[in-house]
Amino acid sequence: MPSSRKTVAAQAVEEWNDLNLNLARGQRLLRRLKDEEVQIATADKEVVFREDKTTLYRYKPTAKRTIGVPVLVAYGQIGRYTMTDLQEDRSLLRNLLALGVDVYAVDWGSPGRGDRWLTFEDYVEVYLADCVDYICREHGTSAINLLGICEGGIFALCYAALYPERVQNLILTITPVDFHQDQAEGRPNHGFINLWTRSLGDDDIERLIEASGNLRGELMSHVFSQMTPGATMSKYNVGLLDTFDDEKKLLNFLRMEKWLADRPHHPGEAAKQLLINLYKNNELVKGEFRLGGRNVDLGAITAPVLNVYAKDDHIIPPKTTQALKDVVGTKDYTEIGLDGGHVGVFVSGKSQGVLGKGIVDWLRRRDRR
Amino acid sequence: MNAKSNPGSADWFTAQQAMWAPWLGIGAPSTDEKRPAHARSALEEQFDELRDTWLGSAAKWSEFVRDAAQNELGDPAKLREVFAPASWARFGSDLLDGELRRFLEGPRYALLWDLDRKMLELQQLTLRRDQDVAAYQAVLQKAWNLAYERFARVVGTGPDGVRSRTWRSMVDQWLTAANDTLTEVYRTEEFLEAQRRALRSASDRHLKEREIAETWSEAAHLPTRSEVDELQREVVELRRELRLLRRAAQPAPSGRAVAPARRKPATKRSRA
Repeated sequence: MPSSRKTVAAQAVEEWNDLNLNLARGQRLLRRLKDEEVQIATADKEVVFREDKTTLYRYKPTAKRTIGVPVLVAYGQIGRYTMTDLQEDRSLLRNLLALGVDVYAVDWGSPGRGDRWLTFEDYVEVYLADCVDYICREHGTSAINLLGICEGGIFALCYAALYPERVQNLILTITPVDFHQDQAEGRPNHGFINLWTRSLGDDDIERLIEASGNLRGELMSHVFSQMTPGATMSKYNVGLLDTFDDEKKLLNFLRMEKWLADRPHHPGEAAKQLLINLYKNNELVKGEFRLGGRNVDLGAITAPVLNVYAKDDHIIPPKTTQALKDVVGTKDYTEIGLDGGHVGVFVSGKSQGVLGKGIVDWLRRRDRR
Repeated sequence: MNAKSNPGSADWFTAQQAMWAPWLGIGAPSTDEKRPAHARSALEEQFDELRDTWLGSAAKWSEFVRDAAQNELGDPAKLREVFAPASWARFGSDLLDGELRRFLEGPRYALLWDLDRKMLELQQLTLRRDQDVAAYQAVLQKAWNLAYERFARVVGTGPDGVRSRTWRSMVDQWLTAANDTLTEVYRTEEFLEAQRRALRSASDRHLKEREIAETWSEAAHLPTRSEVDELQREVVELRRELRLLRRAAQPAPSGRAVAPARRKPATKRSRA
């Protein structure tokens, strides 16, 4: 008899039974799974360069090279780069490798209290710049393809503006540029970090950093949890329950948890620049953001730019990143808006065939071997 | 023994009478009125002086108590506040905070009670943090109440008006109501301000705690957090200088036009 035609009592019994069966399945799965089975960032790679806590990886090719100039992937400090290679079938890096790209990725490490004094200058003009120099040296080239993600996109933008000769093509994904466009679309769940940051005084931020040394990963996790309260509330109950009918789904869930739990502390002085100079004062889009005594002029970026954003990105609302179009110096500017949210663009099943392919198609048309 | 049989005790009784009669406003005219002033005994004069002093003191205390009562507990609003359950939810009362404040705002002495003062400041900052956290939680509680209200209005009814019967659909309805309400409230000025204050007072308290810990560290010949921070800052700056020197000694890579600039952190270092 179809469920809809059953009596209320029969439906209740059936539902109770299904729930208990699902819980029992979940219990069995969770008992069997060990932490070592929940691995992330497992694509084959080697360390090619280190500087302080920064590590540059080069990934082993998995297909014949089709793009002549290597791509350096730079993630930010709010999460770890491991999100770009969450699992075998959900990995931007593996997709790029499979399409014939020579991939490098930079890992900033896990900053501690001793890294409190590191600034954007250190990340852009030292660590990122030295990684680019290394790749150029190894490949005998004067410029590379730079791919920045989120805050890593800001690093990439700053680098491309200060050293335009070193960037052949610039690819940005989910990168904020105009930090005050967060409410432009009037979507109620968008741009909470922007609102939260603007609610703080400069001295509140300075006292916070002084007290903790860094912008603690736990605090940022708390702020992130406030962006999607429903998802936060349901994650470890109905959310987890929904994965119990399929081991693959449960492993996906646990891998994402592993990535989220590994949220690094953001070095204090760089965090002040991010929160005060960028989020609050919106200096990047105004051309007022200064690094090492120089203004970061986005108009100086002459390399072709591909700007990828997520249409339902509640963390970096589309308008905050699309603002780049009006301020960047290059005439070769392309936007790709993908379905999904901030992280979903990288890890959802649907986006796997889209993001990597979109980037590689765009690069192929501009490749200079 | 009576007064007649002992002239000394007669004098004593007279003096007592002279002191109490004007206070009580009774009795026969004082013997002072019958005798010239120069005839009063030394003992009488001492008692008079003592009486005046007592009267003066009593007047001062009365005035002091009246002022204190008017400024503190005498105010019905203040009494209501003390006994209101809402104020019990706070970890410290305004009265205690007020006492701490009065003490801390008092005169400072160069060599006395420095650590005690810091401990009291920490206590005051702890009270403030607890109050700010309680205020933040009160805003959150209002949001939850609103979410429950909204859920109660729609519970059991699907979007098409059909009554839903599964536990899961009920849970989904609850999550939708809670998510929408919290998303809305988290963006209000009231919530953001309450969160800001809680974060700020937690930072202030943390820094005061550090200041006290540093006092002990110094006394125990241990490096302080501030000293370690300063050392790390110097290491970072030395590394920057070293890189500059290395780069200056090497030919610049092609395309890299400018050496990395040095930047001192823009913010001042401060100890709470």
